[in-house]
Amino acid sequence: MAYKILIVEDESDIATYLATVLRVNGFDPTVADDVESGLHMAREIRPDLICLDIMMPKESGISMYTRLRSDAVLKDIPVIIISGAGQDGNFDFRLYVPDQAVPEPDYYLEKPVSADHYLSVVNEILSASPGRER
Amino acid sequence: MPETKATNGGELDAWAFNSIFELVPFSIAIIDRDYNVVKANNNFASYFGEWRDKKCYAVYKKLNAPCPHCTIRDVFADGQPRVNDVDGIDQYGRKAHYIGHCAPLRPDGRGRVDYVVEMSLDVTGTGMWQQEYQILFDRVPCYITVIDEDYCIVRANESFRENFGDVLGRHCYEMYKRRKTRCANCPAAKTFKDGRVHHSEHQGTGKRGQKIHYAVSTSPLIRDSDRVAHVIEICNDITEQKKLEHEVIEAERLAAVGQTVAGLAHSIKNILMGLEGGKYIVSLGLQKNDKDLVSQGWEMLERNFDKTTTLVKDFLSFSKGRLPKLVMVDPRTLVDEIVDLYKDVAAKSGIELKAEPDDGIKPAPLDPDGIHTCLTNLVSNAIDACLMGEQKGSLVTIRVRENRDVLVFEVTDNGCGMDYEIKKKIFTTFFTTKGGGGTGLGLLTTRKIVQEHGGKIIVDSQKGKGARFRMEFPRARLKSLYLESEEETEGD
Repeated sequence: MAYKILIVEDESDIATYLATVLRVNGFDPTVADDVESGLHMAREIRPDLICLDIMMPKESGISMYTRLRSDAVLKDIPVIIISGAGQDGNFDFRLYVPDQAVPEPDYYLEKPVSADHYLSVVNEILSASPGRER
Repeated sequence: MPETKATNGGELDAWAFNSIFELVPFSIAIIDRDYNVVKANNNFASYFGEWRDKKCYAVYKKLNAPCPHCTIRDVFADGQPRVNDVDGIDQYGRKAHYIGHCAPLRPDGRGRVDYVVEMSLDVTGTGMWQQEYQILFDRVPCYITVIDEDYCIVRANESFRENFGDVLGRHCYEMYKRRKTRCANCPAAKTFKDGRVHHSEHQGTGKRGQKIHYAVSTSPLIRDSDRVAHVIEICNDITEQKKLEHEVIEAERLAAVGQTVAGLAHSIKNILMGLEGGKYIVSLGLQKNDKDLVSQGWEMLERNFDKTTTLVKDFLSFSKGRLPKLVMVDPRTLVDEIVDLYKDVAAKSGIELKAEPDDGIKPAPLDPDGIHTCLTNLVSNAIDACLMGEQKGSLVTIRVRENRDVLVFEVTDNGCGMDYEIKKKIFTTFFTTKGGGGTGLGLLTTRKIVQEHGGKIIVDSQKGKGARFRMEFPRARLKSLYLESEEETEGD
């Protein structure tokens, strides 16, 4: 059974790209275009990994991330932040979430991301995630 | 004091003369042709001291020889009375400042002048006040000029002369602004016209060519009639304040540049990601010989190239830091142009676009290119909002009307509308609800142009109930910007 990966991204071309890369490489991607539908789908499909954009119109990816981490059911799902925020691959998560009680995301990918790099990070995170090997 | 009793006409005259001689509130002395003081009243004695057997110059000025410019001698010479402003010395050796009225006395009623009577009014106190006022006038830390109806400077204080040069008799506009003609927005002209105080801010040029910013108040100077014959211009030098304001604006501008560059980088990264995606899917399609994938990838590439063009165009328009080029235009013409531009696009999407200009809208000084950009942004947003909405019978209306001397352009749609959270962010750099379809600069650019016209933009909207964007331009503000720009053009 393929890994289920939820992509939360408001830009349709980027969502299509990320989903296509995953699909042709044997994963099972689902796309949500905002935070509310992202949380709804996360509860519904219980993904193995969430790829999350930060800047979205109604509610930011950071807000979704903190909501995930405080959700009893979803809090252990690994999250890769994929965003244009940050510089030279450095992303200061504490600038957005100073509360140390909220753990940092599992990985940060700075846009633009090549398919190969994206896949390698997805594989790395999934293999490090306990009890989720397929 | 003389006796208070008179018995006949001659005695009455003498008694009256002596009484008046002593009662008048000034000093009187009678001087003969040899400058001897032959008679003086008590006021004179108490002011100048002992006078008997003394020469007038010894009493008035404590001198040993006649004054070089002697008024009394002149009166003896031509028999004409004179009034002069004199500095003498009182009986205690202090400086005495008095107005001397010198008149000839002819004991025979005509012919030779045997005596001169000098009536002196002490104005020492008044002179001191005048001096104090003069010091105050000169040293007060602002520029003061008094101008006549021909805009010629008749008085200027020291502060003004130090900064603008020596000016008496020259026109105020020559001195304040080095112009050859009167300023278009002259506050003094308003004061001459309505007799009221007017305030305004200007930039002038000092005598060394230095730029001087000043806030001027013009007040009427009315003396003998209701007519304003002169205007007093009191100017506070605000050059330093303007410099500081400029530094603050510059610091804010640099901070905004940082923020803008970060936002721009974010937008570019997203476009690059879209291009990366298109490239990947085209290549995947070619690899799998899947035409649909190739075409899907190609469309992604095209879309993201278009986004690059739009971003660059919007960004340049946003960053354009220029003053609006105001010309008198008919606001309705601007609206008609936008309707012509967008009616086909709107019709293809099943949206009705209509203009509803009020009758009798007068021409206004506007920057036609700037207002065109604003209306373009608002109408294209309105069309997008209709496309995102679920309303049947989509309608976008552009109104132009006049409301209490405020020119109003209004773009209304019955599209998807906005909730409070979105409304809060719409004027934030790079904020968009159109995903990759927007650059997040349109409304920001619109607001910038409206503000450059001295106006404001107001939005009313509720989620699901459409939106109304109103650009308001107060006519008075437009007029003063227009006059300023005219003046700058003249100045150039």
